[in-house]
Amino acid sequence: MKRNPLALIAANPLMGVFIALVIIFAISIAASPHFLTGYNMSVIARALAFVGLITIGQAMLMILGELDLSLGVIGGLCGVVAGMAMTSGGLPPIVAIPACLLLGAMLGALNGLLVSILKLHSLVLTIGTAGVFGGVNLVLTKGVAITGMPPEIQFFGRGEVYGIPVPFIIMLVVLAIAVFITAKTPFGRFMYAIGNNVAAAEMLGIKVNRIRVLVFTMAGLLAALAGLLMVARLGTAQPSIGETWVLAPIAASVIGGVATTGGVGSPLGAIFGASIIAIIENIIVLFGVSPYWQGVVSGVIVVLAISFDSASRRLIRKES
Amino acid sequence: MTSGMNGLVPALRAIAATTTAVVLATAFPAFAQEEPGMEVKDSYRFVIIPKVVHPWFDQVNNGAMQAAQVIEAQTGSKVEIVYSAPQQADVVQQNQIIESSIATRPDGIAVDLLDASGNRASLEEAVGQEIPVTIFDSVPPEGMELTSIGNDFCEQAKLASRRLVELMEESGQVAIMMGVPSAPNHAIRAQCHEEVFAEYPNIELVATGIDNDDIETAQKQAAAIMQANPDLKGWVASDAAGPIGIGQAIQEAGKTGDVILVGLDNLPEMLQLIRDGVAESSSSTRPEMQGYWSIMAMWQQAMGIDTPKYIDTGIDFITKEDLE
Repeated sequence: MKRNPLALIAANPLMGVFIALVIIFAISIAASPHFLTGYNMSVIARALAFVGLITIGQAMLMILGELDLSLGVIGGLCGVVAGMAMTSGGLPPIVAIPACLLLGAMLGALNGLLVSILKLHSLVLTIGTAGVFGGVNLVLTKGVAITGMPPEIQFFGRGEVYGIPVPFIIMLVVLAIAVFITAKTPFGRFMYAIGNNVAAAEMLGIKVNRIRVLVFTMAGLLAALAGLLMVARLGTAQPSIGETWVLAPIAASVIGGVATTGGVGSPLGAIFGASIIAIIENIIVLFGVSPYWQGVVSGVIVVLAISFDSASRRLIRKES
Repeated sequence: MTSGMNGLVPALRAIAATTTAVVLATAFPAFAQEEPGMEVKDSYRFVIIPKVVHPWFDQVNNGAMQAAQVIEAQTGSKVEIVYSAPQQADVVQQNQIIESSIATRPDGIAVDLLDASGNRASLEEAVGQEIPVTIFDSVPPEGMELTSIGNDFCEQAKLASRRLVELMEESGQVAIMMGVPSAPNHAIRAQCHEEVFAEYPNIELVATGIDNDDIETAQKQAAAIMQANPDLKGWVASDAAGPIGIGQAIQEAGKTGDVILVGLDNLPEMLQLIRDGVAESSSSTRPEMQGYWSIMAMWQQAMGIDTPKYIDTGIDFITKEDLE
């Protein structure tokens, strides 16, 4: 029996955002001769890598029904601490980098523990912890960048393998692991169960608090990784690292079909959403859009992309 | 024989003259075209990347547009100015704009660096792709041979702080508003303010705020600092947004006339504060001139002509009398 191709498409919730991504990509190729060049693709890939890592962590939290607004700040703080450890602290990168990844994981775990123990909404709690972590960042740096990073770490931020930026390769590896965890393991199924209905998940015997703390820990670890890669990219530890990583990962996840209410979506969809945002940011510069219109233009494209995803899903369901 | 030679000489001269003319006619134009500045281009496209979306940089852009019009009028070459500003004063965002701009293969990129060392990798990419780079209103990364356009930031700051000290009769509490701490021009100005205050034993520096080149942040910081230091007598700033926020805070606190503000730069709000008597004066850069000479420098570089290491656009000192 031959199945309707629309029904096959409808079975895959990522198809809508993927088609939106392909359309934006195709329009960009047609509209700018500078878009589809090797150099520009590496620019987009590198930009996507850093925010993509935060997006993966945020998407996993959103699947769980949580949000962490401190992820960007954790990335910045870990980058700064790593920078200080490798310069004034005199620690070799092989020691400083794992230590700061651990710090990121611990800060994430702290968020998870506080949410679980205090029974606070993660959105509210992480606004507070973002203030604390950001404040510590300022206390440590006095707002001034830390320079003199060891040259051997620069490969992780600036290097390329067969023309592909190293941070992008790292992001793809992390994405593959995140997709495997969410789609193929009992842990992933528990995440969706908790996101759909916490009370029901508890009744089923799922250790909700343990899973929550673990997912917050993973998100903190990924934020620290993004911060460290950015330090390697810039060659300095900027106190402002992560300031722009707050709303974009949430927007990317929503564009990619991750529900803010939990239980729906995947890290892969969120990365499709982040790709749409990265392409928009790139083409705005390629097209020479006035900085005063950039917010309007990018906002309209995002709304169109979300609308296309939603409308295509409805149409496909109706047709099938 | 002699007569034969006599006939041959004019003939040889004629051949030599013709050969020379042919050689010159063919060789000289080729030589001339290879010289810097001799190749005519129909159009140029230059990118201006400021620190952030900000009215001060709009004035830089106005100067750049004026330079484009001058080049067009004088040479007939079309000049396009692409003005691409980060939405936040964030070096990561600024680097993304630099890199995306490199992809468009412009004839030159002018950048006001947020952080010389943090911008370095992106600038090196531009240079590596043989795109002329000019720096304005900031200091190039150490070791990079780039033309920079601006003014003596330290002199600009010292003009303001010396004026404040003079108005305060060399006695009392002062505060400094810092812009973006990692921005070299802001950091230099703040440092030079401190150096001037340190020269006077009865001048006490009680606070330094950080406004990240944002008026609202400057206003909040200034209000808090004045709350914490009720005897504060004077303010100087290190960026264009700072004195505007300080002026608003002075007005809201009802301290106009009690707290002296010597401002920085020439944004319309700054000039209004001087007219209203909230600020006494302002030590100002010339943003239009920085934009104008950025384009001129990039145009020369695009033609292969070497440009100076540094172009000083000077400082204006603006008082109420100047605005009347």
